[in-house]
Amino acid sequence: MPALTKDMVPGLVAAGGSCRVEAEVAAKFAPGDRIVVRNLNPTGHTRLPRYVRGKQGVVEHDHGVFVFPDTSAHGGGQKPQHVYSVKFAAQELWGAEAPSRDHLYLDLWDDYLERA
Amino acid sequence: MSKHHHNRPLTEVELRVKALESLLTEKGLIDPAAVDEIIETYEHKVGPRNGAKVVARAWVDPDYKQRLLTEGTEAIAELGFSGIQGEDMVVVENTDRVHNLVVCTLCSCYPWPTLGLPPVWYKSAPYRARAVSDPRGVLQEFGVDLPPATEVRVWDSNAELRYLVLPKRPAGTEGMSEDQLASLVTRDSMIGVGLPRSPNA
Amino acid sequence: MNGIHDLGGMHGLGAIRPEADEPVFHEDWERRVFGVFIASFAGGQFNVDEFRHAIERMDPAHYLESSYYEHWLTAVETLLVEKGVLTRAELEARRVKLAKGAV
Repeated sequence: MPALTKDMVPGLVAAGGSCRVEAEVAAKFAPGDRIVVRNLNPTGHTRLPRYVRGKQGVVEHDHGVFVFPDTSAHGGGQKPQHVYSVKFAAQELWGAEAPSRDHLYLDLWDDYLERA
Repeated sequence: MSKHHHNRPLTEVELRVKALESLLTEKGLIDPAAVDEIIETYEHKVGPRNGAKVVARAWVDPDYKQRLLTEGTEAIAELGFSGIQGEDMVVVENTDRVHNLVVCTLCSCYPWPTLGLPPVWYKSAPYRARAVSDPRGVLQEFGVDLPPATEVRVWDSNAELRYLVLPKRPAGTEGMSEDQLASLVTRDSMIGVGLPRSPNA
Repeated sequence: MNGIHDLGGMHGLGAIRPEADEPVFHEDWERRVFGVFIASFAGGQFNVDEFRHAIERMDPAHYLESSYYEHWLTAVETLLVEKGVLTRAELEARRVKLAKGAV
């Protein structure tokens, strides 16, 4: 690819580069589904924080199909799949001392989840 | 462009940066004029005044607010803001019952087109560690006291969705123009660690 | 990876210390790192996932003690060397040359 030039900058800034993928990929989950986060511990790149692994949550929204970073970071291709906004109770993640009415939301790929 | 004169030896980091940039330039892989333009854009042209305009529009226009909450990327683009690190936006609304807080525990993901580049504290270990596990403590540290019945929602930007908080419109702002309303919207209120200013504050 | 970057829920990291009226960049070298990163990324030298993972692979103590844009600098150096765009020897030789020439 040629080097970025000055006149290309405004267009690049305005367009960006979405990681959304135009692909027909079946979603494994739907809003309302109760899931548990898989206990994955890859030594490579992942966007699955440790604090949420093995925890139960509810799928709130399907964001659509995106590049999967766990493969993309290692030359393993895009492996496009659905990403969901998943809602967790604060107490589920941090224990009974956490405020009972608070929640955390993370965006999790299909491969990170299984049905509860 | 004039280079400022160094009266002292360059630090190790400065030497590393100059070495990297000069080698990449010589190899034709980067163009310094493009680098200058990128810097100029993010230092002077993109910033939280963009997000403030989005918030002010949502405060005065209920249809726009609906679009903002359901199709954030497109609604934000209506006002001319789009692009790098804002390609897929989600806007979350503060109400009398819900207060939202945004973090990226894994790195520093932040909605650049609406808020500009993130402040150091947002990218640093203390905020990233505690925003998810003790958001109320973090809010207290920022001077935000929430009514006890409020639900706190923390959004960890671990994927490529970028989050913007739509703060509650302050009381006493009836009849204010969009520009006047935008001037009340602070960057911190759009991250969720602050509240908008009150009029005449 | 279960690296130092995965900070959610960690204790003992101290107070959040916002700086009043913080500038976008604190040093000129930070500006240059930012611009060089964007230009390199736009030029297809690496993708964002590789970039993040290069930061995650930093020595943990170095990660916690260094500033944010030094993370970016380290990651770009690492990736360009791993991809054969530059060599460590080239970078070191250029640093030495610049150190002698400056002052």
